[in-house]
Amino acid sequence: MLPLRDLQLRFFGAVSRGGPIDAGLRAVVREHGTLGAAARIEIYADMYRARLVDVLREDFPRVCALLGDETFAAVAERYLARHPSRQPSVRHLGHRFAGHLAVENLPHPFLADLAHLEWARVEVFDAPDPEPLRLADLAAIAPADWPALTLRPIAACRIVSSAWPVHEIWATAGDGDARRAWPAVPTRIRVWREEWSVSHAAMGAIEAAAFGVLQRGVPFAEICAAAEAGREPDAAAREVGALLMRWLEDGLLARRQAP
Amino acid sequence: MAIAVPYLGHGVGLRPVHFPRLWDGTAAVDWFEAIAENFMVAGGRPLAALDRARGQAPLALHGVSLSIGSTDPLDEAYLRRLRGLAARVEPAWLSDHLCWSGVGGHYAHDLLPLPFTEEALRHVVGRVVAVQERLGRQILLENVSSYLTFAHSTLAEWEFLGAVAEQADCGILLDVNNVHVSAVNHGFAAERYLAGLPSDRVAQIHLAGHTDMGAYLFDTHDGPVIDPVWDLYRVALQRFGRVSTLVEWDDHIPELDVVCAEADQARAVEAEVLGAVHAATA
Repeated sequence: MLPLRDLQLRFFGAVSRGGPIDAGLRAVVREHGTLGAAARIEIYADMYRARLVDVLREDFPRVCALLGDETFAAVAERYLARHPSRQPSVRHLGHRFAGHLAVENLPHPFLADLAHLEWARVEVFDAPDPEPLRLADLAAIAPADWPALTLRPIAACRIVSSAWPVHEIWATAGDGDARRAWPAVPTRIRVWREEWSVSHAAMGAIEAAAFGVLQRGVPFAEICAAAEAGREPDAAAREVGALLMRWLEDGLLARRQAP
Repeated sequence: MAIAVPYLGHGVGLRPVHFPRLWDGTAAVDWFEAIAENFMVAGGRPLAALDRARGQAPLALHGVSLSIGSTDPLDEAYLRRLRGLAARVEPAWLSDHLCWSGVGGHYAHDLLPLPFTEEALRHVVGRVVAVQERLGRQILLENVSSYLTFAHSTLAEWEFLGAVAEQADCGILLDVNNVHVSAVNHGFAAERYLAGLPSDRVAQIHLAGHTDMGAYLFDTHDGPVIDPVWDLYRVALQRFGRVSTLVEWDDHIPELDVVCAEADQARAVEAEVLGAVHAATA
């Protein structure tokens, strides 16, 4: 007879690692009908792989489309072997999947970054509800207070950086064209949720620089300085004004807490 | 002391695929059962949907990750989140499974079988007592479908489940389909299982479909309830009386009308059986 702890450790090992089942574990499983002990344990091992690969397939549908079902399943099983779930909710299963793809020898160099984008969308989907800043909130701010004004992005927002245009690859992942050799294009993408809708958009160089500063929660004057970057002050101011309007329209800025 | 939960009638599982029909107000639902872990998140559409459903009908929370039989320490962070969710939606009751789901800090996200031994009984009873203290309420534990049993078990599954419920003072969520599946897989009489449970502990019933794999039955929850399970439900009603019932669908989930029609079928079976019981008693 195996103590409960020992039994669970052996059973979990057999189910999660696959391969031959140790004799000690087989000996404590009752045989009945046409199914032997090993076959009965194997049912659980099959369920483990099938269920968790399915979860990853749902969270990374475009990576799966590009790899094909069979290759994706093989990659996912290697991921599960290296990174078994450590959270009670299966929602977190894929949080290291993009990093794992980076060390796999895969046919497309951009797959890890595409997975980063897909995971950012998963994270934003159930992030804390945004309470976005609106134009009327800003209208109430006195001009003299603007330089010291601190803006922050909403919590349901992520930035994905890539050497490839993964937003374009994401959009075409369902068709064969996405498997072509994409040219390397440094890309920064913001991913955010407006009410219940998750969106993403590539940012130009000025927006990326300004948004990077915004994420640090610094005064508005520093955001303007980041956008200026050697350009005429008037042009930079117009650019920042346009960015601010875009961020407000997209609901990207968090409403300020009352003092 | 017995389990104290209300009778709510015949509920349906809260599934995103049904949200449009649920929100347009054309479907009548006695109560919802929501998978707790799907809503243990910071925000977004899931929580908003849960709040909306709660505004329409009573709701029960059904967990899948409590891992009550695991020999790992209880996951205190998980219990805090579960307690927080329960405070938010005030469920009619809260349930999980009599199984273990992980060990050594890792999770299988599956309902793994326990040996039915005195050691496991002491272990599970202690953990149920601790969980009920943390949550500030009684919980229900559901019997799971299983594909193996352990040679060193000294108790029948129903004896183990009944003893856990009595000793830890918790309730039982009786999954009639799981009883049928395990009875076929392990060669015991399903009626004996029902007869061996303490009748004042059964607070909810699950019905579901399964798949016949030839050598064994597989608990898939992806098809209609089959006749032998409806028959066993009749036996359960005769033994336990009126118990809130839900037909579970986890895969290939049909239109809400189909799910509600199955709930109505369960309602009709209940009327048929309990009407007969009352007539016999009169």
